[in-house]
Amino acid sequence: MATIELAVLDWAIIVLYFVAIIGIGLYLRKFTKTGDDFFMGGRKNSSWVAGLAFLSANLGALEILGWTGGTMKYGMFVSHFYWLGAIPAMLFLGLYMMPFYYSSKIHSVPGYLKLRFDERTRLLNAITFAVMTLLMSGINLYLMALVFKVLLGWDWHLSMWVSAAAIGCYITLGGLMSAIFTEIVQFFLIWAGLFLVSILGVMEFGGIANVMQGLPPTMTSLWATTGDASSNAMGVTWLGLVMGLGFVLSFGYWTTDFLVVQRAFSSKDLRSARLTPITASFFKMALPFIVVVAGMVAFKLVMDPASGFKLPPDPSDPSKLWNDAALPLLIVRYYPVGLVGLGITALLAGFMAGQAGNVSAFNTVWTYDIYKAVINKKATDEHLVWMGRMTTIVGVLLSVATAYLAMQFNTIMDYIQAIFSWVNAPLFATMLLGMFWKRTTSAGAFWGLLAGMIASFAIFMGFRFNAIGPELAQVLTFSPAPSDMTRNLWQASWAWVVCFGVTILISLFTTPKSDAELEGLVKGLTTKVEEGKVGLLGRPGFWAAVALIVVIALNAYFW
Amino acid sequence: MSQDSEGRDPLPIWFFVGVILAVYGVLVIAGNFMTSRPTILAETRPGLWWGSLMVVAGGIFTAIGVVSHRKG
Repeated sequence: MATIELAVLDWAIIVLYFVAIIGIGLYLRKFTKTGDDFFMGGRKNSSWVAGLAFLSANLGALEILGWTGGTMKYGMFVSHFYWLGAIPAMLFLGLYMMPFYYSSKIHSVPGYLKLRFDERTRLLNAITFAVMTLLMSGINLYLMALVFKVLLGWDWHLSMWVSAAAIGCYITLGGLMSAIFTEIVQFFLIWAGLFLVSILGVMEFGGIANVMQGLPPTMTSLWATTGDASSNAMGVTWLGLVMGLGFVLSFGYWTTDFLVVQRAFSSKDLRSARLTPITASFFKMALPFIVVVAGMVAFKLVMDPASGFKLPPDPSDPSKLWNDAALPLLIVRYYPVGLVGLGITALLAGFMAGQAGNVSAFNTVWTYDIYKAVINKKATDEHLVWMGRMTTIVGVLLSVATAYLAMQFNTIMDYIQAIFSWVNAPLFATMLLGMFWKRTTSAGAFWGLLAGMIASFAIFMGFRFNAIGPELAQVLTFSPAPSDMTRNLWQASWAWVVCFGVTILISLFTTPKSDAELEGLVKGLTTKVEEGKVGLLGRPGFWAAVALIVVIALNAYFW
Repeated sequence: MSQDSEGRDPLPIWFFVGVILAVYGVLVIAGNFMTSRPTILAETRPGLWWGSLMVVAGGIFTAIGVVSHRKG
C-alpha cells in the first residue's frame, strides 16, 4: 500500500507535541526534589488528575488500534472489554481495596505485600512485575515502529529511538508527575484527534442507525449470542466472559497492576484516592464511542466495494487483511491537512504514554522493592531519587532492546501478550485473600502465588506446543478447540483458582500474623472510612452507584 | 510536588492541556484554508468547526488552570 503523505502543517503539529512534552518535563524538574515528588507525584493530586491519569495509563494507541480492528471481527463484543472487563473492577478497587493500599502509605503494590505478608512475596511480585513492564514497554515500542513504518513510511530505528529518547528525557526530569501530565495531555489528544473519525463516519452513513443496519446480530449485541460459544465470533460463552474477563482478568489487572494503581497513590487524600478509579470508570465507559463506532464504520465501508475503502495485508501474515490499519485509514479518508497531523499525534501520544507508564512504574518498583529492599537498605531519599532517574534511563534502553528482540523473533510476542495472566491473575487471588481474610498466612500467599503463576504458564505452554488434547481442552475451557481468546480467559481463571486454593490450604496449616501486625491492612482490623462530613456528591459510594447503574443500562440497551 | 527555589507551586495540568488544545485548534483551523487532497465530507469543513471547538475548549481549560493557580 502507498504510505500516508503528511503536509508541512501536519509535521509541525507532530514536532510541537515533542516540544510540549519535553518542555513539561523541563518545567517540572525544578519541583521534583524528594522521593515522594519523583515516585508519587507529590501525593497532592485531585481525583480528576489522578483519575484521568489512571485511565490514560491503560489507554494506549495499541488498544485503540487493536480494538477498532477487533470490532471488525468481533463486533460489539469489544465493548465487553470496556464495560464488563473494567467497570466492576475499577469500582471495587475504589470502594474496597483503596483504603488498604492508600492508608498504609506504601510506594507500590509489592510494598503492600511486604507489609501484609513478607519480603519473599514482595520480591516475587516485584521481579515478575518489573520484567512484565519492561517487556510491555518494549512491545509497545516495537508495534509503534511497525505501525508508523507501514502507514507513514517512517524509519524503524528513527521512530523507536526518537520516542524512547523523549520518554527517557521527560521521566528522568519530572518522574511520575511528568508521566501523569503527559498521560492527561494524551487523553485529551486522543479525544480531540480520534473521536472526530467516529462522528464523520456516522455522518457519512446518515446516522448511527444506518451504520448498524444490515450488520449480523453477532456484531450488534453484547449478550444475546453468548449462550453457545459457536454462535459468536469470539467463540466464548457468557460464563467464560464473566469468569475470565469480568472477574479474573479484569480484577487482576485493574486492582493489582501497579502501572494503573500508582496513579491513585498520587492523590492528595484517601477520598480522592478512592474516587480516582471511580472517576476514571465514566471515561472508560465512553471509549467504545471511539473504537466500536469507528470499527463498525470501517466494517461497513469494507463490505461496500463502491466506498473505495480497502485494508492492506497484515504485515505479519500477508494472507489476511490488516484490521488494525482501519483507524489510520479512516483518518486519511476523512481528515484534511492539519487534522491528519492531529490524528497521527494522538496515536503517537498514545504509544508514548503507554511506554512512559510502564517505565515510571518500573523505576518505582525497582528502586523501592528491589534496590532498597535487597541491595541498599540504608539508601537516603536523595540517593533513591538519583537511582530512580538512572533506572528510568536503563529501563528505556532495555525497552528498546526488547523492541529489537521482538523485531527479530516474532513469536516472542505471543509470550509477552500472555504474561498478564501469569502475573496479574494469581496476584488478584493473593490480594483478595490478604485484604479480606486475616487468617491468610505469609507462607500461603507465597506458595499460592507461585503455584498460580506456574499453573498459568503450564496451560499456556500446553496449548502452544499442542500437549493439551481435545479432551483436556474441554475440561479446561469447556470447548474441545478453544479460540486464542477463550484459552486466554480460562488460563487466567485457572491461575486464579489454583492460587486461591493453594493459598487457603497452606494458610490453614501455618501460623497467621497477629491482629496487631495486620492493623490497617486487612478488613475488620482497619478503621472504617468516615464519609459523613462530605455531601452526597463528594462520596465515592454515590458515584460508584451511578457508574454501576450507567454500565448496567448500557448492557441492557445493547443486550 | 515541592515548591521551586522561589517558593512557587507548579502550574496545574489544566493550564498545559488548555494551551496545547488552543494552539492545535488554531493550527487545525489554519489547515482548513490550505490546499488538501480530496477527502470524504470535505464540504462540511471539519477542520473549521472542530478546530474552533478545540480553541474554545483550550481557552476554558487555560482559564481554569490560571484561576486555580492564583487561588493556590
